[in-house]
Amino acid sequence: MSDKNSSNFKSWPVTLILGLFSVPLLVMYLYLFIDTFTNTAPGSLIPNELTFEHWRFLWETEPGTVSIWQVTLNTLIFASVMTLVILSVSLTAGYALSRLNMPFRRFFLAGVLTLHAFPTVTLVIALFIVLQFLGLYNTLIGVIFIKAALMLPFGIWVMKGFYDTVPWEIEMAGVQDGASRFMVWRLLVLPQIKPGLIALGVFSFLEGWSEYLMPQIFAPEADVQVLSVYLASLIADDQKFDFNLFKSIGLFYVLPVIVLYLVFQNKLMNIYGGGSKG
Amino acid sequence: MRQRIGLLGLGFMTPALVMVLVFFLIPVVMTAVFGFTNMGTATGISGGEYLLTPKIVKQLEIRGEFDKQSLTALSSNRYQVTEAGLAKAASDGLKSAYIQGLRDSLLGREYSSKRDFERALKKIKDRPRKVRALKKSAEYFSQSILNRRYLTDHEFKTALAATGVQLSATEFDQVLSASYTGWIWTTDNFTNMFSKPDTWVVAFNTLVYVLLVLAFNIGFGLFLALTTFYLPSGQSAFFRAVWLLPRISPPVLYVLLWKWLTWDTGFISTVLGWFGVPAFNYMLGSVGSAWAVVVLINGFVGASLGMILFSSAIQAIPKSILYASEVDGANRWQQVRYIILPQLRWPILFTTSYTTLSLLTSFEYILLSTEGGPGNTTNVWALEAYFTALNNYAGNLKYGYGAAMALVLVTLGVLVSLLYLRLFKFDELVARPKIEN
Repeated sequence: MSDKNSSNFKSWPVTLILGLFSVPLLVMYLYLFIDTFTNTAPGSLIPNELTFEHWRFLWETEPGTVSIWQVTLNTLIFASVMTLVILSVSLTAGYALSRLNMPFRRFFLAGVLTLHAFPTVTLVIALFIVLQFLGLYNTLIGVIFIKAALMLPFGIWVMKGFYDTVPWEIEMAGVQDGASRFMVWRLLVLPQIKPGLIALGVFSFLEGWSEYLMPQIFAPEADVQVLSVYLASLIADDQKFDFNLFKSIGLFYVLPVIVLYLVFQNKLMNIYGGGSKG
Repeated sequence: MRQRIGLLGLGFMTPALVMVLVFFLIPVVMTAVFGFTNMGTATGISGGEYLLTPKIVKQLEIRGEFDKQSLTALSSNRYQVTEAGLAKAASDGLKSAYIQGLRDSLLGREYSSKRDFERALKKIKDRPRKVRALKKSAEYFSQSILNRRYLTDHEFKTALAATGVQLSATEFDQVLSASYTGWIWTTDNFTNMFSKPDTWVVAFNTLVYVLLVLAFNIGFGLFLALTTFYLPSGQSAFFRAVWLLPRISPPVLYVLLWKWLTWDTGFISTVLGWFGVPAFNYMLGSVGSAWAVVVLINGFVGASLGMILFSSAIQAIPKSILYASEVDGANRWQQVRYIILPQLRWPILFTTSYTTLSLLTSFEYILLSTEGGPGNTTNVWALEAYFTALNNYAGNLKYGYGAAMALVLVTLGVLVSLLYLRLFKFDELVARPKIEN
């Protein structure tokens, strides 16, 4: 509708109202950038000096704390291994659900859909005790598998959706030519869903990168800390309160998210529709 | 052929099935199992041992079902020099001359108090010089079962019987269960949960939280979708990007920005300070403002889900209908009311039901912002379960009680997600495969 501004509608009042509602967000994200490079006197909002001191955390590690690079590495490992697990498991399961006539297919589909709606966060207490039993508490591997598994129904459902869009004719042709279903999947179908794979991969990586609750519950200790837990524990420490430092770390933390988002924007929008946050 | 495809399908499903089994089905069952135990930091999660402490004796006394005399006898500290005690002392490296001295002069004698026994020890020739070592050596001959750990139920029963205190069978069992340090099966979690007034406060908070955030999410999501639909494309792209920011930001950073906005050193207080309003922590300063902040934090994130879903639904409406209505003289409000909203009925229903369930169980943003405060006023059910079982200041974690609280949510979650399966026309989603039919 936007290309056609008709006489019975003026858009500026709408812009104004929307603008007013957006002020808190605009202010928050604007000052996220400003405050990391400047100092501001208390009681003022106009910065009075330019400085890089808030970025000290990149090259200085306070004694008794972990280096930011170690934490970043943990986050990277956590997010990428989790993504690999989700991708590889939902790659096959999605195909089976979409295309293969197997026993219990209806039951599996209903199960995946139910689990997709099921609020996984209610399971953390049981998972915590199970992890303690297994001796995987405070390890990256434990929290990686938990987060991957909890995202799995979503991944399978998205993957099934991508497989559903591949034309049946491709597979029929392959089967006619004498290829097995496995070969058809491997050689004909997989190349077709590459865009879907990338979209789900980026989405899972971003979810893992941003995740706070699972690492906080299952791997809070310093040597396996991820960026979210690291930043949250800094903020929770009443002794050294410094919004500028927090924002600098926060900006450092969110930059990869913004870059990935800008690059894969269109692919991600399809998936965000599926929704994973309330 | 058909069978082989079936096998291939099951093979393809296996990794997913294993993960679902381990991380969904087992935890669901475990939540139910743990909900009926009193597991916690006090009991540990593996087995326990038997330990009777003066405190437990006191508690038994308060219950009033015990004979006073037998309780006093239980807690009295009797000392007797026995061969077993001597052997234990010898194996712990006490001087053999001292042990010999004890055997010669005190073997078999009984003392009814610590003081008497220590006085007797001081008469032994080769006794340890230091008073503390002497007192320690006395403990080898203590016949009391107080403050001693017994690994098995059998050991404890034998020791209890050896004290010679006369106990009836029920009393005996009571002492046994009171001194057990491991976890036991119980339904107390549920009776406690429903009798505690705090539970109802938290349940009411949850209801308020879900309703307010839901209303904001749907209402404001709808508002964003409609307004961005009617704005010029540049503006609408800008506003959609702005409102997606909360969704793509990591929760920790997003809540940090809210803290900066609302705390007493933050943005709002600074701006209002210019007009002489004293600084105020809006996130934690008062119940009303804390609720407003909690609802807005969650609402700003949630509104974007509505915005995305409703926007694509509006885009799907054929343009010709809208143009036709315009020719007929309908203004924008009439278009929205009579053309767009009826088309959005289904996405709104979907978003409402999906959001309700996830709000009911989510606590991440509250945990990061108010932590349920001030007091307990913004605490919700899922957060309370988390605090009870996994994280509280006292450090006394009650896994069992927390699991019982979570079980309420798990049950609700299973029922409601099964209900959605009915509601959202599952059969349309499961068209049969077209090859080999």
